[in-house]
This record gives sequence, structure tokens and C-alpha cells, in this order.
Amino acid sequence: MTTERTSFDVVVIGSGAGGGPIAHDLARIGKSVLVLDKGPLLRPQYQTPDELSDFKRDEMFATGPERIVSLPGVANRGASFFTSHAEPDLNDEPHIYRERDGTDRVTIEGYTAQVVGGGTQLYGGVSVRYTATDFRLRSFNEGRTDIREDPNGDSRRESRDWPISYDDLEPWYGRAEELLGINGTVENQAKRFSADHYQPPLPPTAISRFIEIGMDALRMPRYRTPVAEITRDHPLSGRKASDPRTGFVNRYGDPLGLKSSTWIALLSPVSEMPNFEIRPNSVVTHLEAEGATVTRVHYRDPAGAPRVVTGKAVVVACSAIESVRLLKLSAEMDAAFDRRINASGLLGRYFLTHSFGGASGIMPGRYDKSISLDSDWATDFCWTEDFIRSNGIWSGGLIYNNTSDSALPLSLARTYGSEDLDNFWRVFNEDARLLGDRAIDFLDYNIGRRLSISFMANQVPVRDNRIELHPTVRDKWGRRVAYIVKDWHQHDRYVMDVLAEQCARIIRFGGDGGKGEFREEGKGGVYAAVNAAARVANHVLGGVRFGTDRNDSVLDPSCRAWEFDNLYVTDGAFMPTSGGGNPTLTIEANSFRVADILKGRV
Amino acid sequence: MPVVLVEKDDLYVLNYCTKYLARDNTDERHNFLGRLPAGDPRGRIAETWRFPITDTYGGGANPAENYRYDSVTFVYYRIGEAPPAQVSVVGTFADLYAPVPLRRIEGTPYWTVSVRVPKGQVHLYKYLVDGEPAVDPVNPQRVVADSGQRWSRFFTNFCAQPIVLEGWELALLIRLTDHILPFRTELAQRFLRAFYDGPDRGAKLAEAPLLYLLDEPVGAANYIDKAIAREENHRLLDYRICLAEIAKVLRARYPYTTPELAPREAYEDLYAQMAGDFVDGWDRQRYESPRFFLQLLRRHTYTGAFAHPKYGGNSAASAWSYLEERYRDVTGRTLFDWRRAVEQPLGSDPLYRGIPAGQPPSQWEVTDDD
Repeated sequence: MTTERTSFDVVVIGSGAGGGPIAHDLARIGKSVLVLDKGPLLRPQYQTPDELSDFKRDEMFATGPERIVSLPGVANRGASFFTSHAEPDLNDEPHIYRERDGTDRVTIEGYTAQVVGGGTQLYGGVSVRYTATDFRLRSFNEGRTDIREDPNGDSRRESRDWPISYDDLEPWYGRAEELLGINGTVENQAKRFSADHYQPPLPPTAISRFIEIGMDALRMPRYRTPVAEITRDHPLSGRKASDPRTGFVNRYGDPLGLKSSTWIALLSPVSEMPNFEIRPNSVVTHLEAEGATVTRVHYRDPAGAPRVVTGKAVVVACSAIESVRLLKLSAEMDAAFDRRINASGLLGRYFLTHSFGGASGIMPGRYDKSISLDSDWATDFCWTEDFIRSNGIWSGGLIYNNTSDSALPLSLARTYGSEDLDNFWRVFNEDARLLGDRAIDFLDYNIGRRLSISFMANQVPVRDNRIELHPTVRDKWGRRVAYIVKDWHQHDRYVMDVLAEQCARIIRFGGDGGKGEFREEGKGGVYAAVNAAARVANHVLGGVRFGTDRNDSVLDPSCRAWEFDNLYVTDGAFMPTSGGGNPTLTIEANSFRVADILKGRV
Repeated sequence: MPVVLVEKDDLYVLNYCTKYLARDNTDERHNFLGRLPAGDPRGRIAETWRFPITDTYGGGANPAENYRYDSVTFVYYRIGEAPPAQVSVVGTFADLYAPVPLRRIEGTPYWTVSVRVPKGQVHLYKYLVDGEPAVDPVNPQRVVADSGQRWSRFFTNFCAQPIVLEGWELALLIRLTDHILPFRTELAQRFLRAFYDGPDRGAKLAEAPLLYLLDEPVGAANYIDKAIAREENHRLLDYRICLAEIAKVLRARYPYTTPELAPREAYEDLYAQMAGDFVDGWDRQRYESPRFFLQLLRRHTYTGAFAHPKYGGNSAASAWSYLEERYRDVTGRTLFDWRRAVEQPLGSDPLYRGIPAGQPPSQWEVTDDD
């Protein structure tokens, strides 16, 4: 067997939005970089010898056959689950969450994807910047007395200004947009752009016309949703543009490689460099430190054999829940590690997702939705100071429409009545009417007519919303699994109601040419879902937050753990507030920022 | 006939091995619903049904010709045991007396080889491990041949041969799925008749390769046979019991006909009762909830109808074509243009090679001679 290299300038654990940019930048300047990812390396067809991708336009890939929860001691033992080919098997490596009734349940929520490229392989690709206010919610809310449904003032007290401002991050946003390949438009965004790196968007899907009408009638300035999909040649990643011609977008890897995942756009372009190495199918089990230095990264090779590597810097970017878990597992094995990583007592705390939800309607007419990217239109209307103050909310949020949802027949059926991963098929199964002629009615009612619109807003940071290690359940390697304990703050519920109403108004005004009397089919926030305590929109954030006060954060402003000299965390875990928009681009931009700092340190 | 080997790189194989085979756990966390005997090592492994790995075949100089084949990747691995010194595979996909040697992936306990197999076929195989014959220690599909010998089994995509269901079970299942799907209205029937039997049938066959003409309009029952033979094998028992219960109930209600020939009302009444979770004459000792079985059947039927045809339903993409036909704008343009995203020659995307693009050859029918 060839001798494998064991020491590197930088070891990056996780190849998604948090790890990909750092690995790319440091490899480009000649540093030796090792990327470890527990998932497989699934390639687009132009990277395989036989021109066949491991991703396919096949609805059974997004949501596979039934499997059954069989772990002892969980309340949903015996329940069915349906996961994507790129998500973990829940009996091998589940997330467990605590239900409101106190029982523990297995959930798929909080997994992005276990594959090289992480969540950027399967996501819809919405790639917005956060607003300047997102970086300074503490200051913004200082002295406010008009915040509703927050009797204890938690939103003011628990929010934190980021140690960096929008202007600090702005150049890195631009770099991320340029290097990844994002299409969209700048005009009408409530953020300052020093340069426009967007590729031009494709023509909107026909059904999105209702969104244009609704937003215009409501004087909501709209822009084309930035989406991580190239529409023009992208020489930086060596990609040729072509028409995506697909509705297999959200929850599908892209066999053509037009979706700008971190593997496609950042890692594969450096993968032939002699100083760069990626080891897929390699799960990191724990870190080992001597004093303030992480000296050894322990992992299992693709066959499960233990291996050790060292890096002058070690970057943890496994997605927030799994990053917290890796740090806690390492701390569990070494009291000194524990004292350093958890000096503030905040490791795993202030876990965040978004306050999210939306509205949907069955629109007049019928449109072809079978070909579309994930979103056409977005608005920052709910980010105006006037909107925020007049509604008594602590921060605004992004609104954007969805175009690829319910576009294909199987996704339509399995998400019918519920859109989350734990409840695939549930409503379809329980609606016994869907037989024979009624099944035709179901198709007639839905195909090409369903239009939905979503919002993403900040979630109030709550100390007790946290990631722990589960006391009893262990993964297939014998390691304790992640335990999610969280719920929604009263003010989150209120924010969700306010923003869901705005989404519904767009449908109402869009559906009847601007009169506002069209009826939406439904609206609401996720707090009302059956598994609301588990839901995280696949946006897993916080738990290892950065800050300027070592007693109030786990990471310093460079995303280095305060008491370590070479340990960094760069996935969404670093965020002290969750931002009012989809987080991927901000994670990527911050990862480029940290890369720049690391260049001077390794 | 010499077997055609397919070159798959280590990464392709390891992408499956790590997730499903590599592990430390000794508990049988994957033996849900007791589908395997207690103590069976396969109960420790996730998604054993994925082995051998059946995938589209993409090698060779003529991509159109490739469409008739799958690549089948064998992986030999026995959990908890030291890897052997030599492994080969024999099976009905090749000359039984010409074992195909596997190669060991460097630094791992996994032995592998990939071979080309025509689509739509069922094959038996076993390994020769250091010279000794052995069934596949991972693949849950096993059969006992008439000779009493145990074999492992696999089938390729677009398979229309019954695998686990008996003739009477399939006949009954066709009626059951028929009454769930929306394809029994007059309009749908007209469409499907035209689709299968119209004057352009020859063109359809060329355009919609691997069209297999089943006794059912969209092949949902065929899909179910494949699903419960492989990826949802833990539901085989549900079908075995419930099809027998349904046949018994219908025979009691319609003593002068066979269950699959019972009138439409028989099925409508049956479904109404199953939905209410009380069926007259149903033995609840044998299967507690007829409602649960109805839910299972509905999910499978719908999935079979609308999943990619390679899974055995949606034959020749008839269900997609039905939606394409049903939803059109005033100018006659379809509002469900599924073909654009789907590989040629089934669909029309010139770039996506879920199956390699190319000029279709003159004959598309699957033949058994290779």
C-alpha cells in the first residue's frame, strides 16, 4: 500500500460551505491542504471515466424507499423514514431531538447532506447576502420599547452584534459570488454591493408571474433571487454553461455540474494540485490536543480502519450540529480539551435556525413547473426600518418564492400537506380519499398550479436551545449521537405570524391582478408543525458562536477557539444570530475571510 | 458467451462500501421488523439490498448500444472476518464454468468486479471464496434452486419478470393497483389504449425503449414486485398475508368468480372498508390493520406509476406521458414537459446522460440471447 501523507499545513474537516472556501484558497497559495469528509465523493458526469454521474434525475434519489427506525429507547421506534441517498441512515447516525412531551425522537432534521460538497450539493441554491442590520441586532434594538410578544426583553438582551460588520464581510461576499458562480440581480436589494458578480438569471418560470404582480401591487421592491447555478460559462471553475432544463433541483445533486456546489466550484478546480488532497468516505472521530494545540485528527478510512493526521491548523466545518458533536466527543475523552473548548460554558448553546414559514396558493390557470430553478423572485421589503418598527418585530426577514416544489409527481405526493423530512408521505398516507377518480382530482388540482412563497427571519437566541450528546444512543462507530434540545421563543412565533401574513398578501394580490381578494390556501410559521421542536429548515447555525468577549463566546473574531492556537470552526456554528435569509453564502463568505487570516498563520 | 467487464474506479465502489458496510456496531440495528433471523450478520449492515450495485452502463464506443445494458458491481465482504486470499464470482450472467475473478481494493477488505449485464434480466450467482462456494454474505436476495443449492439473486433495471409474487398474487395486485390509480377513467383508458396500441405503435417502441407490454396499464404491480423483492423486502410479508386475506374476502363475497375478475364495486367496497380499518371476513389475528395495508399499497402504487421506468412501473413512461397529454395550454403546448429533463432516448435532454445519449439503433426490444 502506498504511504499516505500524514502531516499538512491545514486539515479541513467537512467540504461544504464552511470548509470548501478555506481549502480552495489555501491550496491556491501553495499550502498543503487535506480535506476529510465522511460522505462519498459523487461526481458530475464530466468528471467520471464513463460520463455517468452518481447523481441522477430520479425522484427515488431525493427520497428513497421506506426504512424503519429500530433504535431502542426512542419514542418513534418502528416509524417509517424516507431519506435521500446522500443523507445518513438514521439507524446508523441519527439526530435525536427532545419532543415537547419530553420524549426523545429520531429525526432527519438538521442533516444537510453527507457527501463531498455537503449541503451545497443538494440545496435549492438560494444564495443571498445578509443585511447590514443582521450583523448588529444588539445595537439596532438598543433602547427599543416597541418590540411585541417579548415580555422579558429576550430579543434585546440575547442578541449580539457580530464582531465583524457587513462592510467587513462585503468583499468576501463578492469573492464568494464570483468564485462559486451565482445568478441573480443586484437592483432592489437592501444591501450595498461594491461590485456586481452575478451571472444573468434565466427567464422566470411562468407561474412566478403571480409573484411579480403581487409584489408590485404591494410596492415590494423585487429582485431575481440569487441562485447558485451558472447560466454563463464560468472559467474560474472550468465550467461550460448550458440550459439546466430540469426541475430536479432542491434535494438533488446536479449530474451536469451546473449547480455551484463547493465541490464543483471550489474543490475540484484545485483537486489536481500536488499540495491538495481530499479523502472522502473518511469520518473524523475526535480531535486530540496537547495544551493549546490540536495535535492529532483521528479518523476512520473508507474501510473503517483508524488513521491519524496532523495539521498546523485544524478547521472544523461539519455543519453546526455535527461540529458541536465532534468538539464534545473530543472533550469527553480529555478533560483538558474540555476545559479549553468550553471555557465560557457556551459550547453547543445558543443553537439557532431560522424563524421560517410562508404561504401557498392554488393559482388560476396552469403552468409548466417541471422545468425551473428553485426560486425566481425575492424581496427585502420586510427589512425596512419602517416595517420592522411598525410591526414591533426585532428584525426583518427575506421573502422569496419557490418554484420547484411540488413540480414532479412523486414530490407532490410525498410532501402533500407537510413539507418536512420527517413526515414524507404522512398526509398522503392518511388521506384515504385519494383513490381512483379522486386521485385524478388530486393531480388536476395541484400539477402546475401550486405556488408557494417562503420567509427566512432571525430566530431569537436562547441559551437553552442547544446541542448535547445523547446519553444512550450511539452511532455505528460507537460514538454518542447529537441531541437537539430547542423550542421557539414567543417572539419567534409572532415574527412568523407577521411574515407569513406578508407572504399571504403577495398571493392574494398576485392571484387577482392586484385587487387583493384572491384566497391563499394556507399560511403559517413552522412553530405550528407537528414536529416543530425538531424543525431547522436545514439551516443549522450557532452553538459555537464567535465574539469579542471570551466569556460570552466560544470563538474569537477569526473563528479560532479562544483557548486554542490552531482550532477553527467555520460552518454556520459560528453565528451569534441566525441572519434574516438563507445562510449558505454568508458561511462561504466568512470562510473566505478566515482563509485570508489563516494565510498569515500557517 | 464471454462476460464483458466494466471498469469502475475504487472511488465508485468505496462510495457504497463506507456508508453501508464499514462499521463497528455489533447490534442488529438494521434488522427492522425481524426480516432476518436473529444473529444474521446482515442485521448489522445498512441497506444491504444495494448489493450488488446495479447502475446504468456507460462504457464503450457506442453510447446508443450501451442503453441496453446495466453495469453490475459485485462487492464481496464478510463482516467481522479477515478478508480471503482469492474471490471470484460465478453466475447465470456469464458462463457458469468460467468464474470471474474479483480484485481487492488496496488497503481495504473489499473485493470487487463490475460486469455488463443486459437490462431487464434476473440472475443467480455465488462467490468462490478461496475456492469454496458461498452465497453473497450481504445481499438479502437469496433463493434455493430446484437442486437444493442456495444462490444469491439480482435483477437489472427495467425488469418485467415476476420475482417474488406468484401469478395469482400479481393478477390480484394488478386489479388492486388499477383501482387506486387515476388511470381507469374513460379518458385515461382512451389515452392508454392509444399509447399502447395506436397506429404509431412501432414508432413508440423505437422512441420508448424497453417498452414492455404488461397486463396492466402502467406497471405499478410490477414495480411492487421489484420493490418487495429488494429495497422494501421487509414489506414482502405484508403483501403475502394481505393478498391472501383479500382473495379470501373477495371469494366469500363473489363465490362465482375469481377475485381478480370481481366487479369494480367489489374493489370500491373493499377499499372503503379498509379505509375504515374494518373489513368483513378479514382475519385480524393474521394482519391487524387492513387500513395500514391500504396505505402501504397506495404509496407503492403511486410510486410505481410515477417513478422512473427503470424501477419496473411507469412502463415506457406511460404515466408521465399521461400527464403530458392531460395538461396542455390553449395553444396545445404541454404543461408537463417531462421529456426535457430526462435522458435520451426515453426523454429528450441531449446533455444529461442518466443513460448515454446517441442515435437509437433500429431495434430496441430487449433480447434474452445475450
